[in-house]
Amino acid sequence: MDIKVGIPRALLYYNFYPAWKVFFNELGAKVILSQKTNKKIVDDGVLNTVDEACLPVKVFFGHVINLKDRGVDYIFVPRIVSVEKRRYLCAKFLGLPDLIRASIRDIPPIIDMEIDLYRGYNRNVDREIDRVGMIFTKDMRKIRKAKEAAIIAQNNYEKHLKSGLIPREAIRIMEGAKVVKAPDSGLLKIGLLGHNYNIMDEYINMDIIKKINDFGGTVITADMLKESDIEYGASCYPKDMFWTYGREMLGAGRYMLDSGIVDGVVIVTAFGCGPDSLIKEMVEKEYKRRNTIPILSLTIDEHTGEAGIITRLEAFMDLLRWKEVV
Amino acid sequence: MRLTYPHMGNLGIILKALFEGLGGDVIVPPPITERTLSLGVQYSPEFACLPLKINVGNFIEALEMGADTILMLGGVGPCRFGYYGQVQREILKDLGYNPKMVIVEPPQGRFKDFLRDLASLFPGLTVGKVVDAVKLAWEKMAYLDQMERALLVFRAHEAYRGAVTNKYNEYRDYIDESKDPKEVKALGLKVIEEMRSLTVPPVEEPLRIAVVGEIYFLIEPFPSQDIFKELNELGVEVDKTEYISDYVLSNIFPWKLNRIKKEARPYLNRVIGGHAVNTIGNTREFADKGYDGIIQIFPFTCTPEIVAQGILSRMSKDLDIPIMSLSYDENTGQVGYQTRIEAFVDLLLRRREMGSAHI
Repeated sequence: MDIKVGIPRALLYYNFYPAWKVFFNELGAKVILSQKTNKKIVDDGVLNTVDEACLPVKVFFGHVINLKDRGVDYIFVPRIVSVEKRRYLCAKFLGLPDLIRASIRDIPPIIDMEIDLYRGYNRNVDREIDRVGMIFTKDMRKIRKAKEAAIIAQNNYEKHLKSGLIPREAIRIMEGAKVVKAPDSGLLKIGLLGHNYNIMDEYINMDIIKKINDFGGTVITADMLKESDIEYGASCYPKDMFWTYGREMLGAGRYMLDSGIVDGVVIVTAFGCGPDSLIKEMVEKEYKRRNTIPILSLTIDEHTGEAGIITRLEAFMDLLRWKEVV
Repeated sequence: MRLTYPHMGNLGIILKALFEGLGGDVIVPPPITERTLSLGVQYSPEFACLPLKINVGNFIEALEMGADTILMLGGVGPCRFGYYGQVQREILKDLGYNPKMVIVEPPQGRFKDFLRDLASLFPGLTVGKVVDAVKLAWEKMAYLDQMERALLVFRAHEAYRGAVTNKYNEYRDYIDESKDPKEVKALGLKVIEEMRSLTVPPVEEPLRIAVVGEIYFLIEPFPSQDIFKELNELGVEVDKTEYISDYVLSNIFPWKLNRIKKEARPYLNRVIGGHAVNTIGNTREFADKGYDGIIQIFPFTCTPEIVAQGILSRMSKDLDIPIMSLSYDENTGQVGYQTRIEAFVDLLLRRREMGSAHI
């Protein structure tokens, strides 16, 4: 029987799922994905984490519990320290397996693969991948093949994202479904800034992308921008931003402002998010100084009411239209 | 050039000695007060952590006094402290101040670079001047730390409320004014004896609590509403795990951290930014030393400490030691926390009685 590896549909799932899935499949394991975020998952997460953790972490805990109840052999909780040279991720990713182990009892063994590219892709990274591969097979050739397939899958996935698809569409295409990109429904282009686990989880953000579409807007995210555009935006600030996704947000925000490719920007952050508290400030400050493109800032937590988001989004879209007329 | 820097406990005294010795014109920001806090809160991002807000308050008050250059530390993450300076510069710019901000990126073991950065601020430096200034600052740091260590123990048994605190404050001012390392040493040793003479020996063996957590909160008493004093006045001897010299030394000699990292390993496998690994490692160490309880203090929304908090609740069970986590923001009401601290101390006392009943 195949070994079943559970992957929580939360946090960096939206950024790396295709690679993870291919990696484990190539090693002969079956991948079980947790259900889409729902009320029970959020409630379970809230109950089992410290109060002050941010919503995405709580949701992640909920997904781990969801997997535990579905009888998987392992749960994949990677310790992702860094995904590119000289930049980190938020501190919570660095301690995630430790936090899970300390907080949830009786769960299947955790695969805590450490991904640390801070000093570039080196022997340590390979060694760590081999260590994880050895759980499934003794055949080193198979592990190497799995690794290569994962990298190819990831590159494909990112290509899909750059072409303007959002993660759930891209993932479906890679799983073989046909996705027809809906024609642009509106004239308004909305830059949507935020971590993927905030803007792509339809449950916790009340499906903000669909709402923007319904109000007659198309969404542009940082993933859809060229790396050179983000680099341009990020280099407008004197100090290199040392969080990968923080830099993406900062750079995309600045690029959208300078290039004027969008009519308005919506920035979504989780309540109490450490890195975003500073990045949002830097992005917003520049928008306020220039006063050319309107920006709406939404904070989400486990209590977010749908009506509040709708009202503010609707008002914002009205404002953009009004601005065009004047 | 009129130089200023943010407050952090007694660090202001030490930096003043250093920079004045180097020939700088130093403006020490006024002591942190409610006004500092409300200025900082007003102009800082809502979810930024309390240290950033207090820093901003310090800067504004120092700029009002005529400072024109701000010295700030930087960093390369993953703690957001590394980006403080950048955000603070933008905040001050929007307020119409335009100070020169010197952001010293962490030396990471290259103390020479740090000194070179500093030297560019002080024209006309000589080696002799540097040696004298560093010597004086070093001596002040060493003895202020020793004084504080003694304060946190003796204040628990002071003869009358305020006796030891007043003595400590009095001598801290003397040390601040002193220009002679030998005098600093003499003052430091003398005040410890004087503080001792103001105590009455406790009837029973006193409770001992270690305070762990985020570095700014451990060194600067203001944001935690001086939890150290609060505990002392309940008759509890306190040890905090981080003093200024620990902070400075672990920045110059990174391997000083290795022992702590090893202690933390079963629970937290690596440095995750901020002082989370210190919190975990120190908790384990102080539990082994037989302390009665541990209190973790940190600013609201501090990610590394939140991770640590989650792990601490597990350690509390494993190591059989009560641990309480307190996070503070600018709205923290004093009474609520006082109640919790008193309840925690009561719990420790009760626990001790129950323990002795079993024997």
